[in-house]
Amino acid sequence: MTKKTAASYLQVAPLTLVLAMFFVVPIALVVVVSFFRYQMLVGIVRTFTLKNYIDLLSSPTTWALYLSTVKFTLIVLVLTFVIGFWIAYFLVFHVRNLVVAIGLFLLCTIPFWTSNIIRMISWRPILGKEGLINNALIHTGIIDQPLNWLLYSDFSVVVAYVHLFTMFMIVPIFNSMARIDKSLLEAAIDAGANRWGVVWNVVLPLCKTGIALGALFVVTLVMGDFFVVTVMSGGLSGSATSGIFNDLQILNYPRAAANAVLLLIIVLLIAAAIFRLVDVRKELVR
Amino acid sequence: MKKTGEILDKVISRRAVLKGGAVAAASTVIGAPTVWAQTIKDITLNHTGMSYSVLADIGRQAQKDLGFKIEMSVVDHPGLLNRMANDPNSIDICDMEIWQSKVLVPQDVLHGIEVSKIKAWGDLTPLYTEGTFAGKEVSREGDSPIKFIYREAKDTAGFAKSKTDFVNFVPSVFNADTLGIRPDLTGRPITSWADLISPDFKGKAAIQNVPTNGIMDAMMAFEAAGILKYADKGNPTQEELGATIGKLIELKKGGHFRALWSTFDESINLMASGEVVIQSMWSPAVTAVQTQGIKCTYQPLKEGYRGWGNGLGIVSHVDGIKLDAAYEYLNWYNSGWVGGFIAKQGYYSANPKTAKAALSDNERGFFYEGKPATADITSPTGQKTNSAGDVRDGGSFEERFSKVAVWNNLMDQAEYLYAKWNEFNAA
Amino acid sequence: MSLPSSPGSRPWTFYVLAAFFTLFVIFLYGPMISVLVLSFQGPNASLVFPLRDPSTMWFDELFNPRRTGDVVGAFDRSLPLALIVMVLTVLISVTAGFAFRRRFLGASLIFYTAIASLIVPGLVLSIGILVTFKYLLGQSAAWYTSALGAHLSWALPFGLLIMFAILGRLNPSYEEAAYDLGASRWQTVKSVVVPIVFPGVIAVALFGFTLSYDEFPRSWLTVGPKNTLPLEIWTMTTNVTSPALYALGTVTTIVSFLVIILALGSILIIQRKRSR
Repeated sequence: MTKKTAASYLQVAPLTLVLAMFFVVPIALVVVVSFFRYQMLVGIVRTFTLKNYIDLLSSPTTWALYLSTVKFTLIVLVLTFVIGFWIAYFLVFHVRNLVVAIGLFLLCTIPFWTSNIIRMISWRPILGKEGLINNALIHTGIIDQPLNWLLYSDFSVVVAYVHLFTMFMIVPIFNSMARIDKSLLEAAIDAGANRWGVVWNVVLPLCKTGIALGALFVVTLVMGDFFVVTVMSGGLSGSATSGIFNDLQILNYPRAAANAVLLLIIVLLIAAAIFRLVDVRKELVR
Repeated sequence: MKKTGEILDKVISRRAVLKGGAVAAASTVIGAPTVWAQTIKDITLNHTGMSYSVLADIGRQAQKDLGFKIEMSVVDHPGLLNRMANDPNSIDICDMEIWQSKVLVPQDVLHGIEVSKIKAWGDLTPLYTEGTFAGKEVSREGDSPIKFIYREAKDTAGFAKSKTDFVNFVPSVFNADTLGIRPDLTGRPITSWADLISPDFKGKAAIQNVPTNGIMDAMMAFEAAGILKYADKGNPTQEELGATIGKLIELKKGGHFRALWSTFDESINLMASGEVVIQSMWSPAVTAVQTQGIKCTYQPLKEGYRGWGNGLGIVSHVDGIKLDAAYEYLNWYNSGWVGGFIAKQGYYSANPKTAKAALSDNERGFFYEGKPATADITSPTGQKTNSAGDVRDGGSFEERFSKVAVWNNLMDQAEYLYAKWNEFNAA
Repeated sequence: MSLPSSPGSRPWTFYVLAAFFTLFVIFLYGPMISVLVLSFQGPNASLVFPLRDPSTMWFDELFNPRRTGDVVGAFDRSLPLALIVMVLTVLISVTAGFAFRRRFLGASLIFYTAIASLIVPGLVLSIGILVTFKYLLGQSAAWYTSALGAHLSWALPFGLLIMFAILGRLNPSYEEAAYDLGASRWQTVKSVVVPIVFPGVIAVALFGFTLSYDEFPRSWLTVGPKNTLPLEIWTMTTNVTSPALYALGTVTTIVSFLVIILALGSILIIQRKRSR
């Protein structure tokens, strides 16, 4: 082993240790449990079975929930990307004073210090039947009946997701954009590129690492969520993980574990696909 | 040196135990909460349970009366089961719903509580201790308290078929639930569970998103409407559950439900904001809507109520002087203060005698006897909830509890129910 | 055509994007403002409009709780926990980030384990950790042990990935050039590595803090007998919720504003001193 590799192992040791203790071991236990059976009032029966997986994979409910979760993920991904990209672009390339840029950036982060739960319920006085939007629309005479689809609907779920998760897109994109050498842009413009061309051919490719990371964060957060979707849809929509929560209510660990393993595999596949498009490690290792 | 210290510690703590025990025995004779030996002051009891019964004020008052520390920890229903199953040592007093004891007792994480050490056992409501109320047998549909309270012996973690000298938990608070309505918005009188699914309230109805409770409300409604029939709503078969969820999905697809509520607070907001005019609700939620100055009724229905109850269990690891403290706490719990406090929240204490004594004449008349209030009624925090002349929805304590039709429960087919409920969520 | 960031008159895109930015800020703050307004209510408060008898009683309730949860106590646990997670996330993910700049056996395995750790459903991990503590360590859960680990299992991958984005821009040839020019190792780190890595470290710290401070599912069973803030808030919503929650949102927002104004102010002062 060379001195450099030894240094690498030393540097990666704390991370590996934490992951081993707080992820690998607990999840190994979960995977084992997913092959056990659950019996009401008895608990976990330690005999090997594939029943949990067979039940899950053969149930149309599982697929309906995944389909709905994937739908939300795609919508939220597109929205957070469009918002995140242009907000970062504005802050990096349009705000001339660095302190102002940092100030505006921090302005966007302040709401993120407030609890997610509070931020979710704070949409109720706005979107509700007697909420601000409905009241305003009725007062101005645009509608005469309150709009019910504003709250407890797919719409309110998406609003909350975008509200809660856009930050996770802005930060990595902002980070990679801030690193773009501005003389590159000048060169491109000197070469006769138009503004749109610069964005498309220079800025976008140079922050694809940030975009990939932002996308991964958002996908992970939405795919793993059951809480936002339950609260904001008024319990009318579920998500891939809401079944897990239901099973945990009666200590049905085997079925919850199988469900978790399934979700883990699916999201890992999505992550692998993102890394295939943009290898965030390739630029690192030389 | 170190060894000597350890031995000394042991001697001292043993003496302390003996001394504490003597005082405990003395206190049972005297009957009032006693000032304990110095060492008991170092005891901290952790009381963990759900938000509706684990109230900071109760811990504070107990501490004042008993002299040792009570730490109140609030969790949600699944949180309590999971914590008790995997980390019981972090809890001393387990405040569980009756149906939760069905899961926890077989896990052998609870003491067998000696009935002889519970003062005033004879004064506790027969609803728990005898399975009767006002001289009649109470409903056995669902997880009726009598089925789970007794155990065969101190060390057998299970349920006894008949009365014994050991219990799994000491009765604490209980109530009977029904539908909450906005009488100003329903536009007609509500008399039956069937109204929950009546097309009149399309898009204005809600049920609980807690599968075990939600399904009970649904079964009450479908049976009342004559749509489905159940041999035992407390223990439905897979076919019955499947049919019920099928009907629920039909209703959901038809836009019948404005929302399903998961938290207490959501149920208040749905009602207060007029999003919903009829839904299953908990009694303090109705009170909370009323304190906002909005008309809201806890509507008695002809088919009867869905009852529920809580019990306090002592977790297995508690021993020595701490166990004495735990018994002292359980005795204090049913000695009056708690009963008076939770009555104003709309719940009942397992010891009606001491609870009634802790209330003023006006409050006793209103909460227990079905009489009109003679002056304003206030919540435990001092907010006005009812005016003079108001009568409590559902009438007197006796009237209400003679009409419990079914108990909150964890049915044999719960695993199937949870899978089906997921289907309902996904639909 | 001028470059957006070059001096001179602003391009039309500036105004379009400035308008877009303003809309986004309104979207972010709209609900916060309704929270702010609704936190000033009297005893008969509701969580929706209209405002009922204005008063500041819910702020008092927040700090001297009678019925609502122990927000202050929970905050006293959540804040140190978030700070510890923040510091550890910065230290561990920065060092690990440097490790990944070289190829080594097992790099991919560790990398994908970190990704999996990011992705795993928090509720399930929560149970897994509790069971690990019970059977393998014989320990009870507590916010400073099991919950700390649970939070790290998710903050670290975030930190690591951000470090990747940062370090990708740190060309090893810069460091080599510094060495060639006779700089010592420490000088190289100070004048080449730190300036490039520092803004990323801020981002990692920001994520580390927020992810822990706001984490619900991973905390669910791992905090032990005393709740952290998100759990306390959650249990508050399972009981009589009051505008105390809104008051908490208001206080949080105002305090964050003060912190950020202070930070920006000190940056400005330092800049001015330097330019002198």
